[in-house]
Amino acid sequence: MSPVSSKQRQFDALVRGYSGDLFRYAYWLCGEEALAQDLVQESFLRAWRSLDSLRETAAAKAWLITILRREHARLYERKTPQFVDVDEVEVADMREALTPEGSGEDALIRAAMLKLDVKYREPLLMQVLGGFSCEEIARELNISSAAVMTQLFRARQKLKAMLGGEPIEAQVYELR
Amino acid sequence: MNCVEFRRQLAIDPQMTSADFVQHRAECPRCAEAHARALAFEGDLARALNVAAPAQLAEAILLAQTTAERRRRVNLRRASMFAVAAALVLGIGVVGMRAEAKPLSVQAVEHLESEQEVLALTAPIAAAEVAATFAKRGVVLKQVPDGISFVAPCPVGASKHRSVHLVMPTTDGPLTVIYVADQKVSAAADFERDGLRGRSLPLGNGTLILLAKSPAEFDRVEALWRAAISG
Repeated sequence: MSPVSSKQRQFDALVRGYSGDLFRYAYWLCGEEALAQDLVQESFLRAWRSLDSLRETAAAKAWLITILRREHARLYERKTPQFVDVDEVEVADMREALTPEGSGEDALIRAAMLKLDVKYREPLLMQVLGGFSCEEIARELNISSAAVMTQLFRARQKLKAMLGGEPIEAQVYELR
Repeated sequence: MNCVEFRRQLAIDPQMTSADFVQHRAECPRCAEAHARALAFEGDLARALNVAAPAQLAEAILLAQTTAERRRRVNLRRASMFAVAAALVLGIGVVGMRAEAKPLSVQAVEHLESEQEVLALTAPIAAAEVAATFAKRGVVLKQVPDGISFVAPCPVGASKHRSVHLVMPTTDGPLTVIYVADQKVSAAADFERDGLRGRSLPLGNGTLILLAKSPAEFDRVEALWRAAISG
């Protein structure tokens, strides 16, 4: 079997194994389905070109997410993201904005997620979608583990606040 | 771990399974309730984030990749072919330039060395044949010198100069005459190369080159050809 076909088989396995996860990550990063699909495709093409640098299969998902994040950053170097700070958001506005087919608890959470500032959203995505530990997220985002923990804490607090959750409990969560 | 620490940890990672976290949950009913609510929220969050990927996403990516790879290989092959072609052209050009850079006298000697056998010919050939050979090179002879044993319209040098190659036996041995019809040297010069004596001179629109072991007959033969070409 030639090295090229072996490489192709490895790539096929990566695409079939992780394209769904990568798409979801991309979607929650950019909030647009078509753009997310483009990001995933470009990321995999980059991954193909540097497939030799992937040493451990266990690290494949993290490796792909790193490539995707860089691709996303390249995209946004030319484009200012239009994220709104959570403090400016009111849940009532989100409920009004929801379409009938998009109503329900999932739709509310999705709308709130897209309103979350990217600095809170991204570590939360890495933890919930990627299954990464705080240390792994810290390495990927190049920040301290303590900063990751603070961002995860605040991400959940802000999400719950937008969803009309438990303000008293949120106060209990607050770092002191 | 106290309640504040537990709730803080709960907001950071509800899936936490550290010993002190599990122990506090077991000992504190209110925190256990909070943990249950947090896990329920995590479930809702994970379900909401689990948007469906487009159908055929993997196939679309693989198609794009294999297409790009195929295009890359074709481009690489084309580039390789172009590089080989360019190298050949360059090589030929350099060789040609080197060959072209040689003086006509050197090219004439090299041509003679490749046709040594004609020096042995001694039988005179017809004047008409000599005149006809020059005519092929666009040169009309005013008269044909006597004593020519060989004539041929040879291409000389890498540039294949339009030339006439002749042999004239003399008392000092065979004398080679090469008339290059398409290139004219600027001045007459005698030279020596590879054991041969030589003379090149501008004549008509071309160059007359004489080659022999001895230059003894050069003046006489030069005069004959001046009369034949210039009149």
